[in-house]
Amino acid sequence: MAEPRASRAGARWLWPLLALPGTVWLAVLFVAPLYVVLAILFGTVDPILRQPVPVWNPLDWDLSQFRYVWQHIVGENPFFRPALLRTVVYVGVASLLCLLVAYPVAYYTARFAGRWKGVLLAALIAPFWISYMMRMLAWVNLLQADGLVNKALSVGWLPDVHRAWLNGQPTTVVLGLVYGYVPYMILPLFAGLDRTPTAVLEAARDLGANRWETFRRVTWPMSRAAVVVSLLVTTLPMLGDYFTNDLLSGSPATSMVGNLINNSVLTPGQTGQAGAFVVLILIVSIVPMVAYVRSTRAGSEVQS
Amino acid sequence: MAAEPERRPALSGPSRLARRSVLKGALAGLALPTLDSILAACGGDGGAKANVAAEKIPAPDNPIRWAVSKANPPIDSGLTPKRGSTLRIYNYADYVSPQVLKDFEKKYGVDIRLSTFNDADEALTKIASKNLKFDLYFPSYDSLGRLIQSELVRPLNHDYLPNASNLWPSLRDPWYDLGARYTVPYTIYSTGIGWRTDQVSTDIPGLDNPYDVLWDRQYAGDMAILDDWHTAIAMVLLRNGELNINSTDPKDIALVREQLLDLRTTMKPRVTISMYTELPAGQYGLCQMWSGDAINLPYYLPKKTSSDILRFWFPPDGKGEVDNDLVVCLAQGENPVAAHFFVNELLDPDVAGRNFGFTGYQPPLNQFTPDRLVADGYVPENLATAILEPRDFERGIPLLQLPASADAAYHQVWQEFKSGG
Amino acid sequence: MLDALRLPQGPRMSVRGWWRDPWRKPRVLLLFTLLYLVWSLLPVLVAALFSFNAGRSRVTWQGFSMRWYYGDPLRSVWHDASLHTALTHTLWLGVVATALVVPLGVAMALGLDRWRGRIPAGANLAVLVSFVLPEILVAVSLLFVATVLTTPLDLGTTGQVIGLVTFQLSYPVVIVRARLLTIGKDYEEAAVDLGASPLGAVRRVLMRMLLPAIFASAVLVFADVIDDFIIVRYLSGDSSTEPVSVKVYNTARAAPTPALNALTTLLLVASLLAVVLGFVAYRWFTRGEKGVRTLDAFAAET
Repeated sequence: MAEPRASRAGARWLWPLLALPGTVWLAVLFVAPLYVVLAILFGTVDPILRQPVPVWNPLDWDLSQFRYVWQHIVGENPFFRPALLRTVVYVGVASLLCLLVAYPVAYYTARFAGRWKGVLLAALIAPFWISYMMRMLAWVNLLQADGLVNKALSVGWLPDVHRAWLNGQPTTVVLGLVYGYVPYMILPLFAGLDRTPTAVLEAARDLGANRWETFRRVTWPMSRAAVVVSLLVTTLPMLGDYFTNDLLSGSPATSMVGNLINNSVLTPGQTGQAGAFVVLILIVSIVPMVAYVRSTRAGSEVQS
Repeated sequence: MAAEPERRPALSGPSRLARRSVLKGALAGLALPTLDSILAACGGDGGAKANVAAEKIPAPDNPIRWAVSKANPPIDSGLTPKRGSTLRIYNYADYVSPQVLKDFEKKYGVDIRLSTFNDADEALTKIASKNLKFDLYFPSYDSLGRLIQSELVRPLNHDYLPNASNLWPSLRDPWYDLGARYTVPYTIYSTGIGWRTDQVSTDIPGLDNPYDVLWDRQYAGDMAILDDWHTAIAMVLLRNGELNINSTDPKDIALVREQLLDLRTTMKPRVTISMYTELPAGQYGLCQMWSGDAINLPYYLPKKTSSDILRFWFPPDGKGEVDNDLVVCLAQGENPVAAHFFVNELLDPDVAGRNFGFTGYQPPLNQFTPDRLVADGYVPENLATAILEPRDFERGIPLLQLPASADAAYHQVWQEFKSGG
Repeated sequence: MLDALRLPQGPRMSVRGWWRDPWRKPRVLLLFTLLYLVWSLLPVLVAALFSFNAGRSRVTWQGFSMRWYYGDPLRSVWHDASLHTALTHTLWLGVVATALVVPLGVAMALGLDRWRGRIPAGANLAVLVSFVLPEILVAVSLLFVATVLTTPLDLGTTGQVIGLVTFQLSYPVVIVRARLLTIGKDYEEAAVDLGASPLGAVRRVLMRMLLPAIFASAVLVFADVIDDFIIVRYLSGDSSTEPVSVKVYNTARAAPTPALNALTTLLLVASLLAVVLGFVAYRWFTRGEKGVRTLDAFAAET
């Protein structure tokens, strides 16, 4: 067996060669720019145009911009804190609603669609191909004061509804987030549920479990991994979303952390503060990511 | 990594840097020669410049004649725009008529590329990066000093601007730019209050302090203010009878903060610059408004609604906010000749009239008087308060550039306002 | 066989009996799914409909017209340079970014799967982090690089492509690696035992097996890129580098006309064509294989 071993050993240069371009790309264009962010966050501001001036040497770093942001999150005038809390609430509620909508749809498509599976899947995948902005724009049209939603709610003998859906309503923003991100959740859920062997579910029903028990004790545990993946794929992008809020609510009352970043990154003198938020989000995102990595590693150990 | 160690003072040092991979060292090597020139410029000359020339802030009682830039000399006379070249314009959305652009393109064979920005801060950041090469920009005088002192603007060659004689006399040699070395006025406008009588029953002009209606609880959730930090500040100060809307007094800054936050909590305003489409659509009934938007309102009304319901209020004694937007030729632009020709076109009464018809913002040309504008049907009678005359420019209170510390303080107030409560 | 398990019921079942029947047709779920589809697609259809509106309104129907597509000499998609440039720029970004990301990503997935050591471990971590982080972080960090440093990374198409590739790179890596896990090394080793060189085994055996995953990731990346907003907005230069998403955002907050609806409808048509092309190509590449040629197998790759 010397020959296969030698030829396998001879291929050892192949794998690093394949991986190297991507690795270099990520190192130079993903990891290194994070240092630029730090250099700007801990840097200064030019006196006339107040554009950011990076400071490269960590010994010269000036913590004032970071301290300003930090103090206004936890200090005595925490005016950033409501936006951060609001982000958590909106994203949490929206993710939950997404799950409540996506799970039955994915379940039906995976288990019961039969010969309609392809068509149904095409219809479910379609929103991916429809620009997010177009879908939001469609809702802006419908929710305007003289739009179809108000007209539909006032039809016939119902009282005239003239609600200002687009005037800083949290409901509109959360529902907008749900509408925008639910397609991202359906696909991984479908993929996971599709792999669930139906024989197990039928066996459970045969053995006398009712619908709810089957779901709770068989279906749900088996789909947990898929649910986690789909939640990740949906929730994390939502955290950086600011344009949904901008389009569906012109009011600061519903601003999220993405708005905080967006407002400061192009404002002279406040660009470093955007860097502070970026660093904070980085730290906050890494924690669940580490937890996820640990759980999948544990899961794959059990499987193998 | 072996190249020129003496040129790497900023990056050498702590061990964490030394531990970075070979690849990142390669990046440092790549970017360094340019990095160092930037560092030198930022750390060295930039600081020196600031010490030598303190901020020059133009004001009606402090008129300034800007020095002609040595780094960016004016262009030579007698040139014509090259056919097929590109002219890059950087402006607010919907602030120049597409017809005007098309006509210019046809007349001179120049391809116009219009880019838009949402607010002046964003525009300043993109211009400061210098790699977008815009030819024309439309600032107001509250950022003019900064632009000129950072050498971003090219002085104008008035041989190309014969139509400048059409301008109001007081604007041909204005206090913010004596000799009109760098700027040409584009529009003149006031900031007041706009409303629809079918949704707002208060007699706003009859109130003791009309600005108070913007804090009137009965219109909570049904009003909007302009998404512009400087205008919001001015509104609060004018409400409190403070005519110095460029005050740097910390007491005034605190007052502005307190009342803006109160506005946000009590009135739940929409913060936007699209009043000209949203008020006619019925999105809300009351808002702070620019006069140009007021004039534009009838165009966006649904056909079944009469324009009689629209109103605009501005202090009758003229002691309200009056500003004008300017056109400047940026030094980074690559087609200054075409830029000059375009500016001259904008000063032509016919072209300006067409532009006015689209944007609603009044060009400060002699041919546009209030009587003529109403008589010609440009502006309905009930919105005649939105038309300006030369004496409005002299009586009105402009928004000026603020010194850096006050500017930063007010920006912080606005940031707090926009973060939501 | 299932019929035999059906509980003996008369032709008229009571409601309670119907509710309790474990083998009844899932009508509730079906209704829910259909309602979801309507909710999901109807607003888009309405928006597409209003792109044919004869008047300026986007909420009131004023008759049928093609003026916003090519009729109106100033503001139609055909005549307004900023609108049709947005469309072409979006498609161009999609093609270029996908063409860069998929080979880089697939090669990286293959390499990282088999390479052991500290550098690949670090690269793995970087891939995972870039998969998880919200887009705004990548956008802001690259914006800083573009504005503060003088590198080839400039605001405009270059910056946008670089930003998109950096953000999307983790997708093919994750998808292909997941597939590699299920394929395992057996086929390659068999090929090598039968006399193929290691490179040949990869090329002729592994790649063919990875084709569904590669296609799925290409399709996903293309869809993501033409829909991208945050990165392309921060890294955009002047109006010639504004894709459709940025154009819609800027115009929607000013005075949009149905030309905007027309623009988005055109993008929709273009992407549908791309999907159909992609799926046809996928079926051509997997000709002769069983079981992977359906849409659900395609979707299950993602």
